[in-house]
Amino acid sequence: MDLQGFGHLLISGAWVTLQLALCSLAVGLIFGLLGASAKVSSSRILRAIGNGYTLFVRGMPELLLVLTIFFGASAVLMGIASQFGYDEYIELSPFVAGVTALSIAFGAYATEVFRSALQEIPKGQKEAAVALGMTQFQTFKRVTLPQVWRIALPGLGNLFLVLLKDTALVSVIGLNELMRQAAVAVGYTKEPFTFYLAAACVYLLLTSISMAGLYYLERFANRGYQGARS
Amino acid sequence: MNLKHALAGMAVVAATLTAPFSMAADKIRIATEGAYAPFNFIDESGELKGFDVDIAKALCEEMKADCTIVAQDWDGIIPGLMARKYDAIIASMSITPERSRVVDFTDPYYSNSLIFVAPKKSKFSPEKVEGKAIGAQRATIAGQYLEDNLGDKVSVKLYDTQDNAYLDLASGRLDAIVSDQLPAYDWLRSDEGQAFEFKGEKVDIDDKIGIAVRKNDKLRQKMNKALKAILENGTYDRINAKYFPFSIY
Repeated sequence: MDLQGFGHLLISGAWVTLQLALCSLAVGLIFGLLGASAKVSSSRILRAIGNGYTLFVRGMPELLLVLTIFFGASAVLMGIASQFGYDEYIELSPFVAGVTALSIAFGAYATEVFRSALQEIPKGQKEAAVALGMTQFQTFKRVTLPQVWRIALPGLGNLFLVLLKDTALVSVIGLNELMRQAAVAVGYTKEPFTFYLAAACVYLLLTSISMAGLYYLERFANRGYQGARS
Repeated sequence: MNLKHALAGMAVVAATLTAPFSMAADKIRIATEGAYAPFNFIDESGELKGFDVDIAKALCEEMKADCTIVAQDWDGIIPGLMARKYDAIIASMSITPERSRVVDFTDPYYSNSLIFVAPKKSKFSPEKVEGKAIGAQRATIAGQYLEDNLGDKVSVKLYDTQDNAYLDLASGRLDAIVSDQLPAYDWLRSDEGQAFEFKGEKVDIDDKIGIAVRKNDKLRQKMNKALKAILENGTYDRINAKYFPFSIY
C-alpha cells in the first residue's frame, strides 16, 4: 500500500480522532450521569428535562447535531457578544464544537444505559444508606455509583466504539481528523481505495485497542463477582 | 477529575473569547478550498498550495499584511465569510450576479470558460447529449450551466468537490463532465487524465474570477490596489508561468 507521502497526515489525523473521542467520552459520561439521575429523580421537572434531552438528541442524526452546534453556536456566541459591543469574530474551533456535539449525543445514549443500570441497584441499599445517615449525594457517590459502573460498562463500551467512528462526522466542519486527511489525500492522489482502506485499517486498530481495554476494564469491574476459577 | 477537565475546558473557551487588539500590521484571514488543482490543493506536506495560494501570498506581501490561509469546504465557503470566520475568499470563485448579491468582489484576477471533458475514445459531442450522464461540481458556474441549459435533456450529477467528479468520470460512471477549462487542462496532463480530452468548443460565458470579501469591506479597495501592483510589476506573470504556459488573465 503506497501512501505516497501522506502517511504522516493520516497519523496526525488519527491522533486528533483519538483526542476527540477521549474528550467527548469524558464530557459525555458527565452528561449521561446527569441525565440518568434526572430521569430517575423524584422531581417532575428534572424528569421532564431528562426525557426532553434524550428525546431531542436521540431524534436527530448526529451529523445534524454537529452542523447545528458548529454554525449555530458561533452565531449565538457572537450575538451575545455584540450585545456587549464586541463585534469581532469569535473563534469556535471545530474541535470544541465537535467535542460539544459528540458529547451531547453520547450523553443522550449513555443516559439510557446509566438509567437501566441505576434501576438495577436494589432499593434496599439506598434505604440502608439513608438509615445510616448518608445524604443523597453521599449515597450516590459511595453506594450506587460504584455498582452502576459494573452494570453499565458493556453498554458504555459499545457507545464508545460508536463514538470513535462518529468522530468521522466532525470532518465536515473542517477538523483535520482521520477521515478528512484521508479525503484530502484522495483528492490529491486520485486513489480513493488506497486511502479509504488505510483509514479503515486505522479505525480498526483504534477499535481493537479499545475493545481490549474494555475487556480488561470489565474483568476489573467484575472482580468480586466471578466464580471460583480452577 | 472529570470536573477539573470540564472547568479547564470552560476556561479555554473563555480564553478564546478574548481577542488580541493588535493594530500594527493588518491581520487578514483568507480562505481557499484546497480541492481544486492547480489553483488550490493540499499536497503530501499537508499545506495549501496552488495558483490561488500564491496570488494570496503575493497580494498580502504587497499590502504588507499578516495573512493566514485556511482551507474551507466549498459548500460552506461563503457562509463562513459572512460569519466572519475569514476576511476574503481566494478560491477561483467566479463573479456571478447571485454571489454579488451577498458578497463584494474585487477586480478579476483571471478569466475562465467552461468545457466538456470525455474519454478520448468516446464519440461524445456537446451537440448530441440526450440521455447522457454528465457531471459537474455543485454550486459552481459549471454546475449551474449544466442545470440551466441541459437539465431536461441529460442526467445531471453534481458532486461536492471537483475531484469526485473526475473520479466518477475516470471510473466510467459519467459520460462526460462540464468543468472550468483551466483545472481540466491540468487534470488532462495528469496520469488519470491521459485517456480523456476536451470535447467540442469551449463555452465562452465571459467568466471572470475574483476575490470575495464581505459587503462594504474596505479590504476590497486594498486588494484591488495590490492586485494592480502585482499585475504591473511582473509578480502575476511569474506566478502564472509557474502553472500555465499561457496567460490566464
